[in-house]
Amino acid sequence: MTSPTVVDPTAQLQTPNHRTGRAPVPAGRPTANRWLSKTAVNGVLLIAAVYTLFPLIWLVTAATKDAGNLLGGDVFSFEGFDLGHNLSELTSYQDGIYFQWYGNSLLYAGIGALGCSLVSVAAGYAFDKYRFRGKEKLFALVLLGVLLPSTALSLPLYLLAVETGTVNTYWSVLIPALVNPFGVYLARIFSAGYIPDEALEAARIDGAGELRAFWSIGLRMIMPGFVTIFLFQFTAIWNNFFLPLVMLSDRELYPLSLGLFNWHSNANADPTFYPMVVTGSLLAVTPLIIAFVTLQRHWKAGLTAGSVK
Amino acid sequence: MSHPWSRPIRTVVSALTALSALAALGACSGEGGQAPARGTAEDPVTLTFWAWTKGSKEVVDAFNASHDTIKVKFEEIPSGGLGGYPKIANAVKAGIAPDLLSIEYPQLSQFVSQGSLQDLSGFLTEDVKKKFLPQAVELTTLGGRNWAIPFDASPQVFYYRKDFFEKHDIAPPKTWDEFRTAAEKIKKAEPKTRIATFFPDDPTFFQAMAWQAGGQWFDTAGDSWRVDTTDPASVKAAEYWQGMIDDQLVSTASSFSPEWTGSLKQGTTVGYLGASWGAGVLSGIVTEQKGKWAAAQVPSWDAGRPASGMIGGSTFAVSKDSRKTAAAVEFALWMSTTEAGIKARIGASTSSALPAAPGLVPVARKAFDTSFFGGQDLYSLYEKAGASVDPDWLWGPSTGATNNALGDELSNVVGGSSTLRKALGTAHDATVADAKKRGLNVEDAS
Amino acid sequence: MSSKTAGTGTTKARTTKARTTKARTGIAAAALLTPFFALFTVAMIIPVGYAVYLSLFTEKQSGLGFDGPRTVFHGLGNYTAALGDEAFRDGFWVLLGYCALYIPLMVGGALVISLLLDTAMARARRFFQLALFLPHAIPGLIAALIWIYLYTPGLSPVVSAMESGGIGFDFFSSEGTLPAIVNIALWEWLGYNVVIFYASLQAVDRSLLEAATVDGAGNWRLAFAIKIPLIRSSLMLVLLFTVIGSLQLFTEPLILNRGSGSAVTSTWTPNMYAYSAAFERNDYGLAAAASVLIALVAALLSFVVTRFSNRKGARA
Repeated sequence: MTSPTVVDPTAQLQTPNHRTGRAPVPAGRPTANRWLSKTAVNGVLLIAAVYTLFPLIWLVTAATKDAGNLLGGDVFSFEGFDLGHNLSELTSYQDGIYFQWYGNSLLYAGIGALGCSLVSVAAGYAFDKYRFRGKEKLFALVLLGVLLPSTALSLPLYLLAVETGTVNTYWSVLIPALVNPFGVYLARIFSAGYIPDEALEAARIDGAGELRAFWSIGLRMIMPGFVTIFLFQFTAIWNNFFLPLVMLSDRELYPLSLGLFNWHSNANADPTFYPMVVTGSLLAVTPLIIAFVTLQRHWKAGLTAGSVK
Repeated sequence: MSHPWSRPIRTVVSALTALSALAALGACSGEGGQAPARGTAEDPVTLTFWAWTKGSKEVVDAFNASHDTIKVKFEEIPSGGLGGYPKIANAVKAGIAPDLLSIEYPQLSQFVSQGSLQDLSGFLTEDVKKKFLPQAVELTTLGGRNWAIPFDASPQVFYYRKDFFEKHDIAPPKTWDEFRTAAEKIKKAEPKTRIATFFPDDPTFFQAMAWQAGGQWFDTAGDSWRVDTTDPASVKAAEYWQGMIDDQLVSTASSFSPEWTGSLKQGTTVGYLGASWGAGVLSGIVTEQKGKWAAAQVPSWDAGRPASGMIGGSTFAVSKDSRKTAAAVEFALWMSTTEAGIKARIGASTSSALPAAPGLVPVARKAFDTSFFGGQDLYSLYEKAGASVDPDWLWGPSTGATNNALGDELSNVVGGSSTLRKALGTAHDATVADAKKRGLNVEDAS
Repeated sequence: MSSKTAGTGTTKARTTKARTTKARTGIAAAALLTPFFALFTVAMIIPVGYAVYLSLFTEKQSGLGFDGPRTVFHGLGNYTAALGDEAFRDGFWVLLGYCALYIPLMVGGALVISLLLDTAMARARRFFQLALFLPHAIPGLIAALIWIYLYTPGLSPVVSAMESGGIGFDFFSSEGTLPAIVNIALWEWLGYNVVIFYASLQAVDRSLLEAATVDGAGNWRLAFAIKIPLIRSSLMLVLLFTVIGSLQLFTEPLILNRGSGSAVTSTWTPNMYAYSAAFERNDYGLAAAASVLIALVAALLSFVVTRFSNRKGARA
């Protein structure tokens, strides 16, 4: 792996205990046995991969079907192939509103995730690198934010948005999306792991101000963590339909998730919506899958709450 | 609008309707801040309208194209139970509800009893009411006042696979006894096949059965709600369907679930007790079974007296904060009672909705292609079914609570851990508890 | 937003000279924390305060209700109503059952898979990690839709395969709801946790493992005696977030509740109870009280989990 070596801080602490224990099992095993375990190991992994992948295959094959074959036929086949029709339905329904939603989602998720990552990294960095009064209490408050059920917040947020006249605007969805306490939690760990204090000290000696040090050194060093927070917040905003559902009533402002939820709710009385929901879903998850495939290096490194050596 | 609601309102007596209409009219004219019915071409009255039914946007476009003194801004919301009604309730609470709302009959009473809607009695004159099926008007009348403009009526009928019934020499059932016999024959002929589906997820299906049997769960008496879900007619319906479920003579898939549609495709469900709008849905799901289906009146308890309940069906209501009532009513009436309005909606979808205004049935008949049903004249059947709907049924003040509790219990019923008879009681208790908690006057009739 | 703050802050910072003074770092810390806490206040603290406020009121009507509700002070009435409601309490039992089934499966499963990935025998590691992780990109809504289809008797190849294998199981029955939801959550999160575990395993000092192998430790011993104890901090982290995530359980059962045929009820989890109270019965006070109670339970639980893990000397 080309990602930075990630080392668990506890690893070193525990080392001596285990070195002393002598293992009774003799080294060296028969090759037949080895071949068997190899098959077993990869077999289990293969089964796990099939488990996670085959519902996705369903999404792909189902997207190619007309309503009839989707609801009745064998979905894991290309019988009743109708992808072209489904796509044209998607483009033509209400003058291509689907792609307007797509654009909105890119906007909400793009700006929201970018803003959220910046704000989180700044706060996480501050929590990690500075000492100030009440720091841990403040941090505990942030962690409490992770625990709040999103359903609990949506109604008060809605009423507040009404009070401030921001209901049914881009802001009503964007502003709550900028806040992710978990992002701050991660950023603090990343900051500890990716930004050595010596680097900052060197910058200070060179005469850089504290904020300049953050901006030009801290932010650059924490980039893999930044990408991770960005990616996960992007996914969260992209997939969230509940807050937009409560906040928005103008279709022109809908993100994809809410549009698809609307169609799904309509499909209950009008099954011709089913293929649109499924094909729409496939197109909706495609950018996320591409992002996760191409940015593998970053989020894998970022996911480990460890530290860089 | 401020109605002196302390004075006792007498029960639903049609003779008084005109009187209260006058009173409401007086109240309206005394109220300041109401926009005129129409604006001018330069400065039209602009309405906001919330709905989710397919074709709504097209109707609005057609209206805007042909009108210049009233302009409508349409906003699509999720279908009622899946987010639409909560959205409306939130907006009402926040005081930013749109002018006109699309609400189904069962939920209308709840919104009325929460004070979310405007009394439209002043607009629904006898002349206007005459345009509608009386049952539809009754369902939108509560406490002697009119609260909404009906759009469609949705009587239940029985859709069935004609080819299957003929092949096995089974006559379409006219009574519930015959229905059971037919169900037994079908199961015998094809052990995996069922005559129809009891939908456990949709309480209005079972409610339509109680309604059709002559049940009357809710009513108003003076300024009290009356709740009685365990009347003999409802119990009769409950016991009948319990037997059908216990003997596995009907399937118990959820409505429009993949399980249900799949069984239609595979031919293991050969009938559907659905509303008038169900024909459009059915022909969309099993297009390849074109020509194999037919429709008949829903079986009744008494062969001589056909009866039907309604499933769904929508109305248009004006939110309490709207200052554009007259314009909103004009637009709603245009959607419900003009040829152009009906055409615009039905043209945009494959809906087999039965207009609540009988005068427009020919328009709908012409627009809906019945080749799926071998060219059968469905609309004549719908009109007959509509006329046989018991006009006494009313929806209650706590539809959300009632139907949540009933829906949860129905899934226990088909799971075998409860009975329909018990479910009736559950629905009753949930309704009364909710109404009492809200401080409504409620008369517990059972 | 951040760049602006940084800009003005920089000029200010330049006026004082290089030495790290307390005031200077204080200003920097404040400048870096302000954007987050401003947003945090607007989007979380104020709404929470508002929710607590709402939980103290209820709406009362009169007569037939045509005139709309009045808001009246209700004290702790909404809290006693929520706690006194069997449906709400049952939600917590459901959650308990869910956790009892889900947490061992998730943590155990992810651990086993990541240990397998970490053995020398595993092939195509990148592919497996990616394949396992991909469901995480799927919205809960779509995941639920896919699985509803795969649970549907008569349509699903999985159900029919299980039936022909002699293990017929109805995911829609009331016994089936828990496994059905657990499976969806497992599908969505398994890969995520595998990646976390695997990355920590990769970080284990190789020389340590080599030494153990030289000493004759087999793969089993390597895994249980060395690797697992060494990644305990990741284990605790995953455990903590799995517990918190369980309490948030909402979207998937909600979709299963509507139009699938599943026996998931409308108040199946405490979150669904709050949703149903607010959005189906319009009882905002009760919904707010229920939400506050859920948040309290979550805080309590995570306190317990972190305490437990801290005592073990692990650091997240």
